[in-house]
Amino acid sequence: MLTERRPASGYRTEAEWLAACRRREIPAFEQLYRTHGERLKSIACHIAGNRQDAEDAVQDTFLKAYRGIDGFAGGSAIGTWLCRICMNACYDIIRKRQLASERAEPAATATAAPQPQIALRAQLAQALGRIDPRRRTVFLLFAVEGMKHSEIAAVLEIPEGTSKAWLFEAKRELQRLLTEARP
Amino acid sequence: MIFQCDDLERALRTPELMPDARAHAEKCEACRIQLYLWTEISSLAPQLHEAWESPGLWPRIRASLAAEPPRQSTIQPWRWVLAVAASVLIAAILLSPRQSRPAGRELLTDAAFQQVEQAEAAYARSIANLAAVAGPELERSPSPLAAAYREKLTLLDSAIAELKTAAARNPYNAYLRTELASLFGEKKKTLEDWMIHANRN
Repeated sequence: MLTERRPASGYRTEAEWLAACRRREIPAFEQLYRTHGERLKSIACHIAGNRQDAEDAVQDTFLKAYRGIDGFAGGSAIGTWLCRICMNACYDIIRKRQLASERAEPAATATAAPQPQIALRAQLAQALGRIDPRRRTVFLLFAVEGMKHSEIAAVLEIPEGTSKAWLFEAKRELQRLLTEARP
Repeated sequence: MIFQCDDLERALRTPELMPDARAHAEKCEACRIQLYLWTEISSLAPQLHEAWESPGLWPRIRASLAAEPPRQSTIQPWRWVLAVAASVLIAAILLSPRQSRPAGRELLTDAAFQQVEQAEAAYARSIANLAAVAGPELERSPSPLAAAYREKLTLLDSAIAELKTAAARNPYNAYLRTELASLFGEKKKTLEDWMIHANRN
């Protein structure tokens, strides 16, 4: 969970770790990357649509975090703050891509497989790309990345109840699309 | 409860209705599929997590961080002002005679003392009124800027309280009174700055 407040190795407390980040010590940022990088990559990959753009978004995230660490008030978990920066970085990349009218490489998905569950997973991945973007984001953060509604509410700056409602609507939309896709 | 296909949507929102929904689904093919998909969506979703090795990513990030220009002091100017004010306060407390009223140019006369007290009280009331106007929005706002303003005001209030205590012990010390007025002025300016920012947004 993003709310975990355990300090990274090498720092006795999270406050010490954060203080090192505020002093712009690169090892402190490396710990941030080791702790949150994998999740950020996955989120970015789903939003940006491919791994190359996802990595660019994560790089941009850490650069913006490094520049703006003084703006992190500590009211929320740092992972939540990074997640918000990362999502904005993804939207910037998408906007630039749209401006350049380039076609994005499709996200890496499982190829057709004989097992019905794997086929369903591929269908689910495909359907996820077709639902309302706000609902998709909530589904992605909650069901795929395991975040809590309170964390999602902080990342998206929406009420917790809205996060729950969008998750339900996302699942209904996915259910409808999967039903239509059934032979 | 007599469960019908139309009740399925409600059952998905209400866990208490799920046993009825499942019982109904045993007899209804369409609802069975809907329930199966509903459950599978949740159980398959974590498998959509994307994970891949990217050994070059951290070195790239590290290089871009290292290429950033060095930062200037991250301590904001008002923190320096407060630090200096706190040092002066401590020095004033240590150097000032307690509950005494010796003659000297830096001590107030009775008449001047009363004038200062009245002016100070009026000034404090006007700032309290300003705080009452600016306070609710400032407390509500989740922005980092609002948090910085709150922190600054807390520090100022704390410094004002300390100075008031010191001034009460040395009521004729003109220097402490001047310092107190200066801190009140800083608080007023902070509240006004916040209100200008809040009105702009």
